Amino acid sequence: MRKPDGKIVLLGDMNVGKTSLLQRYMERRFADTVSTVGGAFYLKQWGSYNISIWDTAGREQFHGLGSMYCRGATAIILTYDVNHPQTLVELEDRFLGLTDTANTDCLYAIVGNKVDLSEEGASENWEKEGHSSGPVGGGCVSPKVSKQVRLEEAVALYKKILKYKMLDEKDMPAAEQMCFETSAKTGHNVDLLFETLFDLVVPVILRHRAQGPPQTVDISRYKPPGPAKSGCCA
Amino acid sequence: MSTKAFTLVSAVEPELLMGDKERVNIECVECCGKNLYVGTSDGSIHHFLLEEQPLPAGTAAFTATRQRHRHLGFRKPVTELRAASALHRLLVLCDCSITLVHMRSLEPVPSGARIKGAVALALNENPVSGDPFCVEVCIISVKRRTVQVFMVYEDRVQIVREVSTPEQPLAVAVDGYFLCLALTTQYIILNYHTGVAQDLFPYCGEEKHPIVKRIGRQEFLLAGPGGLGMFATVAGISQRAPVHWSENVIGAAICFPYVLALDDEFITVHSMLDQQQKQTLPFKEGHILQDFEGRVIVATSKGVYILVPLPLEKQIQDLLSSHRVEEALVLAKGARRNIPKEKFQVMYRRVLQQAGFIHFAQLQFLEAKELFRSGQLDVRELISLYPFLLPTSSSFTRSHPPLHEYADLNQLTQGDQEKVAKCKHFLMSYLNEVRSTEVANGYKEEVDTALLKLYAEADHDSLLDLLVTENACLLTDSAAWLEKHKKYFALGLLYHYNGQDAAAVQLWVNIVNGDLHDATRADLYEYVVDFLTCSSDQALVWKYANWALQRSEELGVQVFTKRPLEEQQNSFNPDDILICLKKYPSALVRYLEHLVMDRKLQREEYHTHLAILYLDEVLQRRPGAGGKDADLTETQAKLRRLLQKSDSYRVHFLMERVQGAGLPMERAILHGKLEEHEKALHTLVHELRDFPAAEDYCLWRSEGRGPAYRQRLFHTLLALYLGPSPSAPSPSTPELAVAAVDLLNHHAAEFDAAQVLQLLPGTWSVQLLCPFLTGAMRDSIHSRRTAQVALGLAKSENLIYQYDKMKLKGSAIRLSDTRLCQRCHSPFCEPAFVRCPDGGLVHTHCAASRRADSSSSSPGART
Repeated sequence: MRKPDGKIVLLGDMNVGKTSLLQRYMERRFADTVSTVGGAFYLKQWGSYNISIWDTAGREQFHGLGSMYCRGATAIILTYDVNHPQTLVELEDRFLGLTDTANTDCLYAIVGNKVDLSEEGASENWEKEGHSSGPVGGGCVSPKVSKQVRLEEAVALYKKILKYKMLDEKDMPAAEQMCFETSAKTGHNVDLLFETLFDLVVPVILRHRAQGPPQTVDISRYKPPGPAKSGCCA
Repeated sequence: MSTKAFTLVSAVEPELLMGDKERVNIECVECCGKNLYVGTSDGSIHHFLLEEQPLPAGTAAFTATRQRHRHLGFRKPVTELRAASALHRLLVLCDCSITLVHMRSLEPVPSGARIKGAVALALNENPVSGDPFCVEVCIISVKRRTVQVFMVYEDRVQIVREVSTPEQPLAVAVDGYFLCLALTTQYIILNYHTGVAQDLFPYCGEEKHPIVKRIGRQEFLLAGPGGLGMFATVAGISQRAPVHWSENVIGAAICFPYVLALDDEFITVHSMLDQQQKQTLPFKEGHILQDFEGRVIVATSKGVYILVPLPLEKQIQDLLSSHRVEEALVLAKGARRNIPKEKFQVMYRRVLQQAGFIHFAQLQFLEAKELFRSGQLDVRELISLYPFLLPTSSSFTRSHPPLHEYADLNQLTQGDQEKVAKCKHFLMSYLNEVRSTEVANGYKEEVDTALLKLYAEADHDSLLDLLVTENACLLTDSAAWLEKHKKYFALGLLYHYNGQDAAAVQLWVNIVNGDLHDATRADLYEYVVDFLTCSSDQALVWKYANWALQRSEELGVQVFTKRPLEEQQNSFNPDDILICLKKYPSALVRYLEHLVMDRKLQREEYHTHLAILYLDEVLQRRPGAGGKDADLTETQAKLRRLLQKSDSYRVHFLMERVQGAGLPMERAILHGKLEEHEKALHTLVHELRDFPAAEDYCLWRSEGRGPAYRQRLFHTLLALYLGPSPSAPSPSTPELAVAAVDLLNHHAAEFDAAQVLQLLPGTWSVQLLCPFLTGAMRDSIHSRRTAQVALGLAKSENLIYQYDKMKLKGSAIRLSDTRLCQRCHSPFCEPAFVRCPDGGLVHTHCAASRRADSSSSSPGART
């Protein structure tokens, strides 16, 4: 088995749609999935790079495995359900801690899934970007609830994460670029999400290759490592 | 889920092991080569020899023969057994102490070396010391939170390191410097050399039995939460997705590419390649599952069993025969590291090919094509599925064992014609793609012949492309097929490609004649003519020339006229062709035109012949048509052009024909050719009254001659105009006079004005001849002035010479005895001498001889 060049990990509470997102992207389909046990991963060829994408289990039982999955990750996708505010809260409370084992320059994306279930997503017309907040005037036949989590909240969380990781906002991709609202069911923004990340991951891979093992990183050129970090990632 | 990867066979029957001692249980097993050791609850070690008999189905049967058995002398169970074959020692953990015993005699080593205070032990299969006669052992000590690393030699042990752990260790595995430890609340990786610890993940080892199993270089398998089998490397990273076991898993083993797990009721088999559960074997009361150098052993408290892996090939074939292509491919690819490279490649290629045929049978052509390509399928395997496509001469036999279960396409599609058509279409595109690649190497004949057959059958346009480009279609096979499908034109192309042009042309001629039916080309006749034109086979051209000419003289004659020039000159004799063309008048004309105009041959016969033919046609047509027939004028124009331009025909002979035939213009031209200008101009002026033609005649005949000649012609014409008309003197005069005036005025320069003036009647006004006279005057004045200038120049030149002469005469020349002739270098004896322009003096005779020597030398001035 060839060692992947980079690793992307999907984190998030159970039932927010991590497996569905990955399945939509990799297999171009949406099917009912069962609760993920443990984890699974796909290899994606992006250019000349092999990127492994890990799908983790959201169930509390498996939280302990998160740290190990995140170890050495190049990017982490934090997923919540736009219709369940608690899932966003959980990201900060439970999942953020698991990312301490990731690379110091790890990229973060925050993804609100299941927009198709809220009013904004009710219309099948997804030409316009669904970024505007607040419900669009009613008139939908299906009894859909209005979106519970606004994109601004995700943006705020993103900025908070950067602060927590002691990363400089200027050095990281902008919050607007890294916060997505998706629907694994309709496919909305799914390709955008993964492909944006792949494009951002490749330069990181190159940088790591150029720098060799992380132990030899020149500190003056580098951000100070996160608080819970010791140079242990391989 | 239904892969059969392992079969469970008994190794040691309970009766053989314990006999009737019902309370004694198996505690641990160890297998090393053929040696099987069993440790029991009563503190005994039993040694068996295992004999394996392979069975045809891919499994094997085992018989165990009892060797020694030995009681250790404790009333405690034997907890673990580990063989160190390099040392011929067995490490026995019993009553918290590891004893070294001899592998055969089971006697403890005389030195009594032992490790005390051990709860569990693990051998390092990736040792850090290079010593082959030393085994590295890690133990969990009876001391709280302590692990120890020992070096074990033949008859001594040596502690290397003692490391304390953050919590109490429950299980351990070693790889190099890395210890993988199950602690009470989590798993960790501990580098005992550097002391660096790496958390893996939390696990409550006190609630559930932890499993720590080294599965390969720097990688471990661990029992995780929720019945997961987790993979972790020494770096603390998971590189494989976990496998999903049941909650109460007791033991795990590896037999690549499978992970086996034992619980209360089952042995489950998962693939490490796709994490799927592949097999479940019911097995009750099992409590040990371990792998020893690739042999998986499972034991209950009473009996020992072996899980015999089916050969990978067999497993793959099973998957393929249940059409589980993806799994088969994953398994085959995963086998790469277990099988020698060459063998693997052969096997993997075969699996790819088989998988390709499975997709093919499901009409999934894209997948099939990719698999055929990557599996480097012998393309004939595919062709042979289609009835009649392989050439009868092909020696191909399908590979054995067969790559698929189908006799032919009809069986595969069960006669569904739509499917058959799709399959054929696929083969067409596939063969077309591969025929120029290395896939077709060595099989070009089969590929091209099959392609030809498919194209012919499907009435596909590419059939012709195939045949006119480089191909390897087999003649006999293809010919029969094309005939069967009435592709006669294509058949002709095939014959042509195989050098049988005669057969090709005969076929095409039959089509054109309507004896055979093939509407491939509407313009087949033209095609055949073209073909003959380009053919270098003279006999063939002669054979079909008549046929071609009979159909169309105009086109048919191209067989001769359009041939490449070089080839014409060498092979075809124009006279032969002319004989052949006798029967085809218009073809004959064409051919002669070709000889005379295109090839510019100057042979008199051709030119005369062509002129006569033109003339005949003109004469023949004239009376019938009467008026201005377009063809007639065209032919006449051709005739005139030929008469004017050509110098090679027999003028007198033609003159005879033209005379009295009422063709004054032609006669005039012929007169002109004979230099009988007066007669010619007479004809033009008096018979035809075509004055512009007469002027043209003068210009035409004087082309390339001197001005005097031209003047003579124009004067002749003028004389005719002014002279008495032979037939009707009076009425014609004014007309001729006008012509004369025009002639003079237009061609003033061509006349000698003085002569003209004498000829002109006195009655003519000056005004009438104004342009002529002006021109003549100007001309005359111009000549006079030019002459004056020339005269003046000549005079001045003369003056210069006179001056020179005077100058030379002016000074005296002294001739003395001492002066010598420049030429003969002897003294002057007479007073006469010659003085050269450069002042040198020579004898007169010397000067004369010098002149005779070189006529070019400048003449000396004689004094």
